[in-house]
Amino acid sequence: MELSPENPLSAEPEIETSHPEEFVEQLRCVTDSLPSRINIDAEGVEQGLAKLVLTLIEFIRRLLEKQAVRRMEGGDLSPEQIEELGLALMKLEAKLQELKTQFGLTDEDLNLDLGPIGRLI
Amino acid sequence: MKLYAYCLIEDVETFDASSRGISGDAVRLLQVDEFAVLVSDFDSDTVAVTRENALDHAAVVRSVLDRTTPLPFRFGTLVTEQQLRSYISARKPALQTRFALIRGCVEMSVKIIRELSTVSGTTGSHSKITNGTTFLEEKRREIRGSEQSAAEAQEISTWLHEQVKALTRDEEVTVRSSEKLVVAAAHLVERDKIPQYKETAADARKKRPELHFLLSGPWPPYSFANIELEFKSQFGVS
Repeated sequence: MELSPENPLSAEPEIETSHPEEFVEQLRCVTDSLPSRINIDAEGVEQGLAKLVLTLIEFIRRLLEKQAVRRMEGGDLSPEQIEELGLALMKLEAKLQELKTQFGLTDEDLNLDLGPIGRLI
Repeated sequence: MKLYAYCLIEDVETFDASSRGISGDAVRLLQVDEFAVLVSDFDSDTVAVTRENALDHAAVVRSVLDRTTPLPFRFGTLVTEQQLRSYISARKPALQTRFALIRGCVEMSVKIIRELSTVSGTTGSHSKITNGTTFLEEKRREIRGSEQSAAEAQEISTWLHEQVKALTRDEEVTVRSSEKLVVAAAHLVERDKIPQYKETAADARKKRPELHFLLSGPWPPYSFANIELEFKSQFGVS
């Protein structure tokens, strides 16, 4: 469609939904997860570093869990090994939860938004 | 003195001199080769990230949408005139290609929320579990739930694509299977197809009552501009 002064696009943007509150809530979550600028103050740096390190640990922990479940399903682990592996992963999860609490971080804080390829976790 | 860049445009030679942009500064048209850039003079080295400034940026970009299809710059793009001219000269073929894609189009947006009950997979703690085997069994259930959720999300995305593909020139889709807002799609739609697109989208909504839709537009093609990263890498604009 060619645009010209005689043929302009007159349509104003419209927003249509039957669930406005729900979308406002979800879009606020997206806004909150956008990367904020780095504040160079001691407390901010400490928490920022903790967030980065814990995010990597969380990512690796989830990979380990998936690998453990695959091995369990594959039948190449004895019941004792499954129990031992499960306990180790359970303690790791509990420890990470403790560290998150210590640094005031939530699960969502560790789920980095990687843009077009989605969330890390 | 730096320039705040709003958008690149083509086939526009005049601009309302009374238009105001970020911080109330006058917006003017800067001709660069075959393109033009909407800019305003800017004294500072940074742009405050505020709701007012974001809306001012959007309003300037929007103001030319009835005359042409702009290629919006990322919010906060500050450059010198020399940098801007150099950038456009160096990227002319890429910009021409990008204009060829968006010319005559606008962006329409579809966002889809799944009912909470259909979102599976949890990341909660397992504080009540004391047995390693039970813990791994629970993890297996969670992983299966996540896989099912991802498959459902992909099905929704594919279904939406099938509904509107005949009416779109291009699309940018984000699928987030672990979230309620599961699909966010931006469709590049030719202007004369907007009524048909809206009708098709409305019909599609009726076909999937279990999903909640938010349709919006027409917008400038922000999702299809893709010129900000090159700018950032070249000039360190942030």
